[in-house]
Amino acid sequence: MPKTSRRRFLKALLFALPVLAIFKHVRPTRHDDIVEVDGWILKRSDLA
Amino acid sequence: MIFQDMAAYRAASHMPRVAIIGGGVAGITIARKLDARGIPCVLFEAGGEDITEESQDFYKGRTVGDQYFDLDVTRLRYLGGSSNHWAGWCRVLDAYDFESRSYIPHSGWPIRRADIEPFLDETRAILGLREFKATHPLTDSFGRMDLIKSDAVRFGTQFRGELEASRNVAIVLNTTVLELAGDGRAVTGAKLFSAGAPAGDFTAPHFVVATGGLENSRLLLWSNAQSNGAVVPNAKALGRYWMEHPMYWAGNAFITNQEALEFDEEGECFMIPTPQAMADRGVANFHIQLETMPYHGTKQLIAEMACYAPRLTEWVASAIGAKLQCSARVHIDWEQPPVESNHIALSTTERDAAGVPRMELHWKKGDLDRKTLVEGMRMFGEEIALKDIGRLHISDWVLNGEDWPTDMELAGNHHMGGTRMGTDPSTSVVDADSKVHGMENLYVAGSSVFATAGQCTPTTTITALSLRLGDHLSRTVAS
Repeated sequence: MPKTSRRRFLKALLFALPVLAIFKHVRPTRHDDIVEVDGWILKRSDLA
Repeated sequence: MIFQDMAAYRAASHMPRVAIIGGGVAGITIARKLDARGIPCVLFEAGGEDITEESQDFYKGRTVGDQYFDLDVTRLRYLGGSSNHWAGWCRVLDAYDFESRSYIPHSGWPIRRADIEPFLDETRAILGLREFKATHPLTDSFGRMDLIKSDAVRFGTQFRGELEASRNVAIVLNTTVLELAGDGRAVTGAKLFSAGAPAGDFTAPHFVVATGGLENSRLLLWSNAQSNGAVVPNAKALGRYWMEHPMYWAGNAFITNQEALEFDEEGECFMIPTPQAMADRGVANFHIQLETMPYHGTKQLIAEMACYAPRLTEWVASAIGAKLQCSARVHIDWEQPPVESNHIALSTTERDAAGVPRMELHWKKGDLDRKTLVEGMRMFGEEIALKDIGRLHISDWVLNGEDWPTDMELAGNHHMGGTRMGTDPSTSVVDADSKVHGMENLYVAGSSVFATAGQCTPTTTITALSLRLGDHLSRTVAS
């Protein structure tokens, strides 16, 4: 499998998982569209 | 006029109206102000014109509580004082720093920023600064702070020629005021130690204690101990409410919109929260300092993240990778709230070469310090994510509430409080004019009068406050 396809497959696999379940510490913030995940402060759309 | 010791000064028969104790930023600024008004004053500088081990030894002491810098390293004891190792970063306290905040006990000053604003042009001239710029809004909750990185003025060097030529100002080097004497209403004299030996007593109509944000408390505590409380009659707050600016590297960030942040030529930028944002979270004032990381630092950050969180590495690589402009270390630097238990005391076992008890600094960060660290990082991280300026990662030690790191900067070498300004003698030492409560002729200058620290470096505000005190003194003396 070419490298780019393998990368795309991995990404698809990862994003297919219920994202919030696979991180250790997920913390809601004051903003609906922002979450704190293992210390990273991200947009929910970053995880979609 | 400059004299090398007290014997030389006495021979000159100078008759000062004001005795200033300490030749740092505050003392020299007040002396120059009085000189400009034609008022004779003497300035006692404990050190000489250069740093010496002998002189620095007087500053040795012990810290109890959190780790802090060695007390003989965090400040300098020669003409110009700690301006001799000052970094030159300039900014004045904001108007809201003078206000009381309900969620920070003992916060607020008895004066407003408007009280020092008439002296800001003169402050800029002394420090060689351009005009201060207003904070530039970055988001609803944060603004980009105007911090001027100036060529630091070394007050001893900068103003030596002017002071030497003055007929009003007499600088007496190598001369320490060991203690003040008083009668509970006024200072009646000062006991001197000059050129390594006792040098008798001295008196003047007015005294200004300007020996620095640590030493002011020590001198007044010892004076009170020797005079049965007759120098600072209301001494409940003396030495207390001492504050620093704790600072730590608390996270890293990927920046996707560098233009929004406007990094300076050193690759740094500084952000501050709005008063409303601070109040909403119940945190003390702080600033975020972004410091761009070298490429190997960025690579290391991504590599570390790959081990720790491969999914996030994937996100960085794909979601923002194309737009990634730089990465930055995220430092946070905050005002320590004024807490009575953080205080300066006199050692019961150690004395300096002149026989004065050495200093004990009792200093510990508390719950609000920890909350400001964590919530401040979160506030900034949320804002830059919302505005797509970047993404921030908070360090594990911050989130896990681990012990304070001992391998970082720790604090700003900013010594504030101890003789704080206020209206209530039970929680303050000096009044709005910097005059010691209950005393007719004793004033305190420098950062020890800070009632609340604000988030910015103190030297600019010290200079403005000193000009204000010099102005007040010159009118008082004239009347």
